Amino acid sequence: MWIFLLLATAVLCFAQDNNDRAVPLLSGTAAFVTNFDGGHADVQPVFAPVLLVPIRQNWLIEGRGQFEGDFERKDNGSFGGPVSSELQYVQLDYIANKYVTFSAGRYLTPFGIYNERLYPLFIRNFQQEPFTLGLTGESSDGAMLRGGFQIADGVNLTYATYFSTLSTVNKLYSDRAAGGRVSFYFPKRRFEIGSSWKHLLQEERTNSYGAHLAWQPYSVPFDLRAEYAYDTKGKAYWIESAYKLSSVPVGQAVTRHAQLVARLQQFFIGKDIDENDEYELPDVRTTQVEGGLNYYFRDDVRAQASYGRAFSIDGNRNIWTVGATYRFAMPLWPGDWR
Amino acid sequence: MKLTRSLFCAVALILLCSSLFAGVPSPKASSDGAHANKGDEVSVEGEKRFRANCGRCHQAPHKLSPAMMRTAIRHMRVRANITDEDMRVILEYITQ
Repeated sequence: MWIFLLLATAVLCFAQDNNDRAVPLLSGTAAFVTNFDGGHADVQPVFAPVLLVPIRQNWLIEGRGQFEGDFERKDNGSFGGPVSSELQYVQLDYIANKYVTFSAGRYLTPFGIYNERLYPLFIRNFQQEPFTLGLTGESSDGAMLRGGFQIADGVNLTYATYFSTLSTVNKLYSDRAAGGRVSFYFPKRRFEIGSSWKHLLQEERTNSYGAHLAWQPYSVPFDLRAEYAYDTKGKAYWIESAYKLSSVPVGQAVTRHAQLVARLQQFFIGKDIDENDEYELPDVRTTQVEGGLNYYFRDDVRAQASYGRAFSIDGNRNIWTVGATYRFAMPLWPGDWR
Repeated sequence: MKLTRSLFCAVALILLCSSLFAGVPSPKASSDGAHANKGDEVSVEGEKRFRANCGRCHQAPHKLSPAMMRTAIRHMRVRANITDEDMRVILEYITQ
């Protein structure tokens, strides 16, 4: 309830500050995904709204929730199951200057590239999350300093450093930890490389490490991304490529909207595997290979289909996914409705 | 549980339908006479920076109003660590 009060107050603040031309915005994703994992079918409607409330020139309140159904086939043939809700982040940002932005609240843990940048359903190339996401924690409660700026011609430095506090409150769980991420981005080559770390300040006081890279050459419509993460629960990596068929000379009306995607990922168990189920991690060494097709009807409407094969000593299995995603965006200020 | 599911579906449906009407014409639609040269320069540099930053995860410029883009780009300034200069150039390009 206090979160809604906070957001309502922010909207009222905006109302008294309408010289700022940015408007409160409701955006997000709606998706419908069907998985067939090892012959087990489940249907997942997902609704993930994002609320953005700009205040004056340098402030922003932002939040994202996710409502996800997990419907399975029942004995009578119909589908049913629970709908879960999650508050992924709600944070206050202050852009202090061109080097530093201060954020406080519940935020996405800045570890690697997937959690912060590739997680939204309308952005990710495969609907199934990679193993690395379960290793490093999705959200933290606390404060963060971050920013991005040019350090030389053609080289940008981006960084994030944070402290999070222990929270056992339902929906707001967080570890007491400190960590950060640093990346070098070469915009002329669209190449990024970086690393992340996290030190747990509770229990075993363990360390987590990660590395990532992303490359999108200008000359061909090709994406390459990879991420590695190490934690006491295990270590994992994924490599993902995507190729838009826009340069294929035949059937342009169809092929320019299509994208082929492929991903390889592996998970190796660590010394603390007791909680792996809770973090949706395998409890044995697992290799997973996936390939799929994304088709963009518009920039905000996409259909997806993929096939994968998982290999482990527990048995190999097929993973099929079919789904559709829709990104919506609307102003929350009457004057901006057209 | 049924009530929660029904509410969830109803809210999702309303938001999806209403957002279909929130779009406005492409931000690149207006460039006229006196501002043509400046507009061209902004377009070239803006498109270059859009591709270098936004294009890494997003499709071509979304059909959002300038006021909405101002909010979205501030969000990306924080989320994607876009530099201050890139943010200004992209904003000018995408709202012109």
